[in-house]
Amino acid sequence: MLAVTGISRSFGGVYAVRDVTLAVGEGEVCGVIGPNGAGKSTLFNLITGHLAADRGGVSFLGRPVERLAPHRRARLGMAIVFQGARVFRGMTVRENVMVGMHGRTRAGFVSAALRLPRHRRDEREIAREAGLALDRVGLAEWADRPADRLPMGQQRALQLARALCARPRLLLLDEPASGLRAGERERLATLVEELRASGLTILLIEHDVGFVTRLADRAVVLDLGQVIADGPPAEVRADPLVLAAYLGQAS
Amino acid sequence: MSRPPVGTLIGLPVAAVTLALPAVLDDSALAVYILLGLAAMVTVGVSLLMGYAGQVSLGQGAFYAIGAYTAALLSLGGVPPPVGLVAAPVVAAVFAVVIGTPLLRLRGHHLAFATLAMQLILLSLAGQLDFTGGDIGLQAIPQFGVGSFEMGGAAAYAYLTWGGLALVMLVTHNVITSRPGRALRALATSETAAASSGIPVGRYKLTVFALSAAFAGLAGGIYCFYTGYVAPGSFPVLISIQYIVMAVVGGLGTIWGAVVGATAITLLLQGLNTLATVPGMPTYAPSVLSYAVYALVLIVVVLFLPQGLLPAVTGRLAARRDRTRQPLTEERDGSAAESR
Repeated sequence: MLAVTGISRSFGGVYAVRDVTLAVGEGEVCGVIGPNGAGKSTLFNLITGHLAADRGGVSFLGRPVERLAPHRRARLGMAIVFQGARVFRGMTVRENVMVGMHGRTRAGFVSAALRLPRHRRDEREIAREAGLALDRVGLAEWADRPADRLPMGQQRALQLARALCARPRLLLLDEPASGLRAGERERLATLVEELRASGLTILLIEHDVGFVTRLADRAVVLDLGQVIADGPPAEVRADPLVLAAYLGQAS
Repeated sequence: MSRPPVGTLIGLPVAAVTLALPAVLDDSALAVYILLGLAAMVTVGVSLLMGYAGQVSLGQGAFYAIGAYTAALLSLGGVPPPVGLVAAPVVAAVFAVVIGTPLLRLRGHHLAFATLAMQLILLSLAGQLDFTGGDIGLQAIPQFGVGSFEMGGAAAYAYLTWGGLALVMLVTHNVITSRPGRALRALATSETAAASSGIPVGRYKLTVFALSAAFAGLAGGIYCFYTGYVAPGSFPVLISIQYIVMAVVGGLGTIWGAVVGATAITLLLQGLNTLATVPGMPTYAPSVLSYAVYALVLIVVVLFLPQGLLPAVTGRLAARRDRTRQPLTEERDGSAAESR
């Protein structure tokens, strides 16, 4: 489904990601872990298109996408839950989720200004899908609140609902557990488990090894911008190279 | 959200007064009324651009001028005035797309200064070129009219202006409460997150820039028919700043706020102008008072009513109404007061 081949990106002569190759199969949950500064976020941005690669390619659903702008990749079926809050301010929870339908609808400025039939049709469909997504993540009763005043855990759930609204083929989660309290983290993990059970392909970038071990079918470990291990999470955790990378960072 | 129920309740009487005013005002009061409506039209565009899409333009006066010159040149060239009036917003929007393509790569202050520079360049060009009449500008622009009917009298222009404003407000309302409007509001917070929801950020920014330019262009078109002449001096840089002050004072991100802001600033300036021309005031009083007032009003509003006049008032009204209707928890009360 997603194949990253020999991708590299450097900042000021220092490689943040160096010659990384990674594949995620249909229905798989793949976790990318690594200590701080390992290049996880850079790799994430290279896949989503928010950063351009110096070398290497990204293919999605069998077609090369490394030259496509982020919104084009999104329209092909990549949906993202960002690390920070990244909810849209000045909008309600429902409106935030409705934005997720943008790529699947077409009513533009003219249809909207003149209230053409296309606008009505799209609005109906957007409202319905947003309602479903809100139910799915348990935010229905918060729907008409201002989004930026939700607690962190619910803002993450809101982003998830927005991503699901796009009916993605691949869901990318950037450090979804960071900044969450234990209860919030547990609820998020349960949500991701449900999504996995429904067959959604997920790429999970996460600092927290325990979170990845619980959710991922496969773990890829990055250190200093390179892949140092790739396999089932339990095996990867016991890998001497991985232990050294994490211990090295801890000491 | 953008229009609290209180606003709708007030809206109807406001509309009635708006319609009744041209019949009762004298010509000099009508002039203020028309210029106020035109300013509100531009300010709605500024509010859309700044308040909803998060882009700052200090060059809206340039689009106002482009609309005015377009309509003036066309009607002086014998084109029927309605065609000129339709061409004014279209030409302004096309110009916005042309210069917005490079400029909208800039953000925040950089975009503000670039649009300001654009206006300065256009004004100096208009003052130099022959076909725009140089510094003297264009004169003897025909009256607005359809076919053999020619519009005379300020009241007719007042209706044309406020009808145009109503159209602009309706279009803005329809846009922001729809798919493209949500996309604009989304990209104002985070272009990255908006793009990842499938929104073509660059194209949307350009479209909203062009739409705000079209509003200013339409106002400029009406202006040229009303005054009968246009000159570079009619569009000072201060006018662009004035629109921003109006939008901020009224409340960014509300359509009615733009009208409230335009009204408040126009009336304030009129009052100050009357004060400054009182016998005994120094000759520099009018310009000092008018310049100083923008700075002062902006500072006071930003300090004490950061959301602007309209949201502050409607928020308070809504909170009070909720309180009298049913005793509510503090949380609900607070959210009503702070919602915009």
